[in-house]
Amino acid sequence: MRDSSARRALVALLLVVALTAALAGSVGAAPLVRVELLSETGSIAPGATFWVGLRQQITPGWHTYWINPGDSGEPPRLEWTLPDGFVAGEIHWPHPERIPVGPAMSYGYSNEVVLPVPVTAPPELAPGTPVTLRAQASWVVCEKTCVPEEAPVALTLPVATGVPAPDPRGAPLIAAARRAVPSPSPWPASFVATPERVTLSIAARGLAPERVADVWFYPAAWGVIEHAAPQHVRTSADRITLEVARGQLPEAVAAPIDGVLVVAERLDGGLARHAFTVRAEPGGRMTSSLLAAMALALAGGLVLNLMPCVLPVLSVKAVGLVHHTGGRLRGHGLAYTAGVLVSFAVVAGVLIALRAGGQQLGWGFQLQSPVFVTLLAYVLFVMALALSGVIVLGGRLTGAGHELASRAGYSGSFFTGALATVAATPCTAPFMGTAVGWALTQPWLASLLVFEALGLGLALPYLLLTLAPGWRRALPQPGPWMVHLERLLAFPLYATVAWLVWVVSQQAGPTGVAAALGGLVAIAFAAWLHQVSRGAGALGRRLASLAVLLLAVGAVGAATLDSRADGGGAAAASSDTSWERFSPARLAELRAAGTPVFVNVTAAWCITCLVNERVALRSDAVSEAFARKGVVALKADWTRRDPDITRVLGAFGRSGVPLYLLYPAGTAAAPTVLPQILTERLVLDATEAIR
Amino acid sequence: MSQPRLTRRAFLAATGAAALVPSGLLVPTPAWAAAKVGAAAPAFTTGATTGQPVNLADYKGQIVVLEWTNHDCPYVRKHYETGNMQALQKEATGQGVTWLTIISSAPGTQGHVSAGQADELTSKRNAGPSAVLLDPTGVVGQMYGATNTPHMYVIDKSGTLVYAGAIDDKPTSRRGDVQGAHNYVRAALASVASGQPVKTPVTRAYGCTVKYP
Repeated sequence: MRDSSARRALVALLLVVALTAALAGSVGAAPLVRVELLSETGSIAPGATFWVGLRQQITPGWHTYWINPGDSGEPPRLEWTLPDGFVAGEIHWPHPERIPVGPAMSYGYSNEVVLPVPVTAPPELAPGTPVTLRAQASWVVCEKTCVPEEAPVALTLPVATGVPAPDPRGAPLIAAARRAVPSPSPWPASFVATPERVTLSIAARGLAPERVADVWFYPAAWGVIEHAAPQHVRTSADRITLEVARGQLPEAVAAPIDGVLVVAERLDGGLARHAFTVRAEPGGRMTSSLLAAMALALAGGLVLNLMPCVLPVLSVKAVGLVHHTGGRLRGHGLAYTAGVLVSFAVVAGVLIALRAGGQQLGWGFQLQSPVFVTLLAYVLFVMALALSGVIVLGGRLTGAGHELASRAGYSGSFFTGALATVAATPCTAPFMGTAVGWALTQPWLASLLVFEALGLGLALPYLLLTLAPGWRRALPQPGPWMVHLERLLAFPLYATVAWLVWVVSQQAGPTGVAAALGGLVAIAFAAWLHQVSRGAGALGRRLASLAVLLLAVGAVGAATLDSRADGGGAAAASSDTSWERFSPARLAELRAAGTPVFVNVTAAWCITCLVNERVALRSDAVSEAFARKGVVALKADWTRRDPDITRVLGAFGRSGVPLYLLYPAGTAAAPTVLPQILTERLVLDATEAIR
Repeated sequence: MSQPRLTRRAFLAATGAAALVPSGLLVPTPAWAAAKVGAAAPAFTTGATTGQPVNLADYKGQIVVLEWTNHDCPYVRKHYETGNMQALQKEATGQGVTWLTIISSAPGTQGHVSAGQADELTSKRNAGPSAVLLDPTGVVGQMYGATNTPHMYVIDKSGTLVYAGAIDDKPTSRRGDVQGAHNYVRAALASVASGQPVKTPVTRAYGCTVKYP
């Protein structure tokens, strides 16, 4: 008996041991990642593409991997077994987080991730019979150690025609995952590589540097950068620069660098992470885009010759050619070109330096200063007076441009070139906007080259006229007609002066206008005094010169005076009540409500803008179309510097006005960018096209 | 006028960023990748399972393979349980190549073994390295920038590192993927033996992270 009871005890003991072992075994076999297949929709429509998602619920402390897993690891995989005609796409990878593992770095996911996959159903699918999608999911999950796991997943959905209802459980999870999938970067990017380091440069304009909490670049492939190395990030208003140790693959820097840039932005409600797919071109390849920008700038410069502010100056200059002969002409053409190029270099240099100092400036920035506008009006006024014959500087009849040329030889031609540049600045011609906008995002040398190409375009017609004597034969013989032409050409200049005074009225209010007009009267008086004193004796001439000088100083003083008059120049106050004043908040509010919006980015000193408003934007037909489509029209007035508007321009790669944006209805759609020269038909067609 | 204020803010932000950059530069970069393919393989001395120190310089004039390993790592097990790693070891040593298996797992981490356990693993798995080296401090591993197990290196007769990276082009832990994979180490050894440059000198190593202290 004792024997058997001992045996029973032994059996019981063995049973307990076996049970414990079995339990331990089942615990050990419990997966570290729980997976399931989710669907965005509650049913499948024949022929439709819908989203499914592999959900991984990961044991805390462990992680699974992104498509580039970093220094070790392996991305999850799905092997589909689908019914006939079904096609599953690739996994759309949500952006990863960085997981340091000792001295190495992993890119992956912790706690939970949903990996979205688009699936397309065949069009001939019969409604009624449910469909089951099956896949074998495999992944590696790591903490300190790594465990490969796999599991079958399946999803059964009914087939129904019509728009399917969202699946209450899957839809929000898949939608959130798709929001974390990087979107294409709106910014151009480039990189330069040394044997040790890679520096990425992303022209991220419109970012507020003080709100950027964190930036990380996740390369798409191994070997480009050291995954674990610190990334030194500098964020400015128009650029993110990221410097990091170079990876081990020597050939990686010969091709574009692909990856995902994750920017964490501080918002009122916490951190918002935005992920962008970035393709950074090698710095060397920048030359091709540089050449394209220079070609565009050259074309823009040519068009500038036809602008009302430049045309009179150049016409007079060209007519002056009738008198010149031989080799000196060539010298004048070159001096004029040099004048243009040097002036453009000066303007570009100032602009680049100011932007480097963090100022939000664009092309035409000079005209945002009422002092500059007033001085420009004075210069053009003197030229107009000369054309009108009030001042005859050198006793010749060929006008101011020629006067200057004959008075000071080549330096006169140089001065005309500078003058043409000054006069051209308000006219942002088509082609110029894109090229200049691009130029300002580039290193200073590239910026300068684009500006110089613009200058060369401006100088080219006159230069060719001086270099090719054959072309000059087309000009008529000298004669009294030249005097009449000069008198006539004075009027576009007077008109430009009037327009500039009106610009001052927008910037500096009535005080500014009074100062500018007073200055003009003083200049006219000085001109007359200069002219009558020519017949007087030496003392009289000297006294008159002094008076002229004093008057000129007075006029310039008046111009600076109006800068202090921060007059009620409510620049945006348009008499046109149908245009609302633009603000980023107002635009965001309208877009959030899904309202279609037209944004007109303009400035009082931009002739192209004013013409567009006259011929296209203010027409009854356009107003009627806007009203019918419920389009809210916003006017962003850049007459005075406004960083908010500069950011809007920057977001579309521009640095100057005009810019026209048409946002369609709905909250997500991107705006249409209209051309810089508008017609009524064009605006109407664009408006009709929105839904 | 709000512009001067804004400019000042931008200036302050820029100054702040400028101040941050140098402090960021003070963060030590990992001692990673001191070993560069195409350059001399870094010299090291570490203990072998025999109890004798092994110096890389001892093998000057021979082709050397370095294999980082961790016997419990699923990726290492893929290559040992299929016999793939042992076959390559014997093929290489048969041609006069020195094969050094290195264990850089820190004490208390996965893959850390005593000299006796390491030798037992070699005989049990029927492996054929020339020597098994113990690097529990991770000094040698970090010198070579070994991130994974397995992580493979080939050094030519002149002591130049000619290959660094994966064992093959199938970065999975599936045993079935050994068949049909392109073995980078075998290809590198063939190139070095015939005096040719290695076609693919750098690849992404795949596997488990090396369990450094």
